[in-house]
Amino acid sequence: MTAHTQDPARDTAPERARTPRPAPRAGRAHRAATRTAWAYLTPTLVVVGAVTVFPVLFSLAMSFSHVDLSYSGFELEGPTLDNYVALLTSARWYSALAFTLFYTVVTVAVELALGTLIALVLERLTAGRGWLMALLLVPWAMITVVSAQLWAFMLNSSYGVISWFFDLVGLEVVILGEPAPAIAAVMIADIWKTTPFVAIIVLAGLVTIPREQYEAASIDGANAWHSFWRITLPQLTSTLAIAVLFRTLQSFGVFDLPFVMTGGGPGTATEPLALLGWRVMFQSLNLGAGAAIAVTTGGIVLIMCLLALKVFRAQVGEVRR
Amino acid sequence: MSTTAVKPPRRRGRRRVFNTVNVSAVVIALVTAAPIYWLLVNSITPTGEMGTLPPTFWPSEPTLTHYEEAFGQHAFGRYVFNSLLVACLATTFVLGLSLFAGYALARMPVRGKGPIMVFLLMISVFPTIAVVTPLYMIERSLGLLNTHVGLILPYVAFNLPFAVWIMRNYLKDLPYELEESAQIDGASTTRTVWSVILPTVRPGLFAVGVFTFTACLTEFLMAMTFNSEDDMRTVPVGIALFGSEFEVPFGTIFAASVATVLPIAVLALVFRRAVVAGMTAGAVKG
Repeated sequence: MTAHTQDPARDTAPERARTPRPAPRAGRAHRAATRTAWAYLTPTLVVVGAVTVFPVLFSLAMSFSHVDLSYSGFELEGPTLDNYVALLTSARWYSALAFTLFYTVVTVAVELALGTLIALVLERLTAGRGWLMALLLVPWAMITVVSAQLWAFMLNSSYGVISWFFDLVGLEVVILGEPAPAIAAVMIADIWKTTPFVAIIVLAGLVTIPREQYEAASIDGANAWHSFWRITLPQLTSTLAIAVLFRTLQSFGVFDLPFVMTGGGPGTATEPLALLGWRVMFQSLNLGAGAAIAVTTGGIVLIMCLLALKVFRAQVGEVRR
Repeated sequence: MSTTAVKPPRRRGRRRVFNTVNVSAVVIALVTAAPIYWLLVNSITPTGEMGTLPPTFWPSEPTLTHYEEAFGQHAFGRYVFNSLLVACLATTFVLGLSLFAGYALARMPVRGKGPIMVFLLMISVFPTIAVVTPLYMIERSLGLLNTHVGLILPYVAFNLPFAVWIMRNYLKDLPYELEESAQIDGASTTRTVWSVILPTVRPGLFAVGVFTFTACLTEFLMAMTFNSEDDMRTVPVGIALFGSEFEVPFGTIFAASVATVLPIAVLALVFRRAVVAGMTAGAVKG
């Protein structure tokens, strides 16, 4: 145990000699170890920084500029708030924001509830548990574009199997042709694909809860419902919190599912922020406004992250020792 | 008799076949499997039978023509090659970098581990749309558009944070005696990581590998934006852009989909333990 408690204060010990030769003294060995550690970390931090942090800053700069595109390159003129003004006065941006928020809240909530239910079933299942888990991995491993094409096909108004079934029970609706059903359809496609992921994460949390607690509770006369609320749920909190965080942030950046399944339609009913931003940038070639959309989307994600920093801290806390 | 009345209904439930758990399990399985079944069936249904009502639940004459079309008429083979090349190389880099970065964060004296971990976690969930335009412009000026490198680079960067996170969680739990004995034998740190740590964290590397590989194979936004030339498309882009505005060749799309989903699914099933371990390492351990 004592062997690995490393004292971060040692880092500040004054350096005596710059000789790289390994010295027997603990302080110098420690310094050498720190240097090696940074050598291990640097490539990762450089790659991640160059490909993510730098572009984010670049987006930020573009969002405050008039971007002039020419064949050979581009020019930034600014600073200006025009892009953000255009954004805040655009009904389409509000529509995309509303859809993205609604989509995120509903899919994450449903996936969490269903995922927990499925995890509870999986935990109690005595036969065929491995098979069911294997089956649940298939939607997770499926390319989103594939599931989007598949759902579009099943929901097609003239030959889709689901539309046919709706007809059979007397429901006349062109599912992908009207806003509300189309929004529901996109959400269902996402729920089908992602709930298994949540279920498997929750299951991993479930199996860590000691059996004895349930036995003790049942001796005290608690029924399954009580056990769930009093024992299971409290101990799942951190697992669920992480699952919610990951799913929320992923949902918020949703792009490929509506792009392929509905093209953002009908109208702009299923157009998320990422799709709107992409269209403004790559189809309208309005890079400044597109960057403003991208930056605000990223900003909202960042704010959600900071709000959830407590959860991060709980996870990271151990490292800080 | 009185004992059966007092005992909780648990035992009774276990013996019956039609209890809540089993029935729910069947429902879950059916709901999950139905779309997958539909994908499989329609990839072997002749085009003439695909648009009929009531739907054809099993083709009268199963056919492989859609598969021939996908690989013959469309350049689907080329897309598969592009996807595999990009995914394999990106995964290799991610594995190498995350092993060492994870080791440094889990077991070495580095200041600011907490902020680094939070930074990595935030990056791993940051929306792609926020970086895709600047990356496009950078790649355009570097001549990286429509190249494999142009995709490998961002894929490595976007998958590294989560990979480092998983590796760190695996490495954290290893006994310290491993390194101590290696150090007594006079091995350098890099040598220790390579020949002592590496073999013991195979499950962790495996989870990272499966995760990164799957993520690279399924990524869409950057692949579509950076590699728009038909020759350089990856599988998801190819599947999304098959056909024209007027006609969507669903049969071909589904054949191509099965051809790609099947290997991933088999991979996921065979390495189920590693996949599940990987999924949960980031979430539950800590």
